Amino acid sequence: MTEKKIGIINTCLPHGSAQGRESLDLTLALSAFNESLSLFFIGDGVYQLLAGHTPDESLQKHFQPLFKMLDLYDVENIYVCEQSLLQRVIKQEQLLIDVTLLNRAQLKSKLALQDQLLSF
Amino acid sequence: MLNGSLKFAVVVSGAPYGTQGASSAYQFCASAVQAGHKIVGVFFYQEGVLNASLLVSPASDEINLPSLWAQLATAHQFPLEVCVSASLRRGIVNQVEAEQLALAQFNLKSPFVLSGLGQLAELSAGADRLVQFK
Repeated sequence: MTEKKIGIINTCLPHGSAQGRESLDLTLALSAFNESLSLFFIGDGVYQLLAGHTPDESLQKHFQPLFKMLDLYDVENIYVCEQSLLQRVIKQEQLLIDVTLLNRAQLKSKLALQDQLLSF
Repeated sequence: MLNGSLKFAVVVSGAPYGTQGASSAYQFCASAVQAGHKIVGVFFYQEGVLNASLLVSPASDEINLPSLWAQLATAHQFPLEVCVSASLRRGIVNQVEAEQLALAQFNLKSPFVLSGLGQLAELSAGADRLVQFK
């Protein structure tokens, strides 16, 4: 049986809910069992990758450093919605990790390639 | 296996009360087995872990979702896997964890079991479809 392609979609702000953190926890855990993971950051989800958070001030766990683990865990398909960055005036250089920018049409076709999707 | 029947893995990310996702997930599972499909397992993550609490006590004219899950899973022999790290953070604890953490109580309902995210990977690998309810 070929390994299933799993897409993990992130659309939430990094804090205010645990969505981002629990998505990253799940991603890092699944990466031990599945080498065909793809991450998608769309809408407000792109803020998760914007460097320089200081959430300790609001009693939130600073999980952002864990994004650096993705490389170590061989999670390399990290896709960011180009339009979402533009709308939020965020440049690719401001992001914490190396990502691939995709326009809407490219995003749609990448998402369509996945066997399973989980969204956070 | 019936002709055309599918194996479903279900992820529940919503609480038993407050949002509708977990109720919809239950209805989906009940309908799927009735239609001859197989539920390979239900994985409870995020607020979904609260579905596993034996302390959930709704009013007498309302449904008790943890009890409904337990009945359905027992009748159709599928596992109810609950993410342990998401559970401990939200106060869902089994007897073993309660003893290890020196807690006065435990509240994991049977037949829910605490398990890791690796179990989700296994359910995902063994299913034709993965369906998430938030």
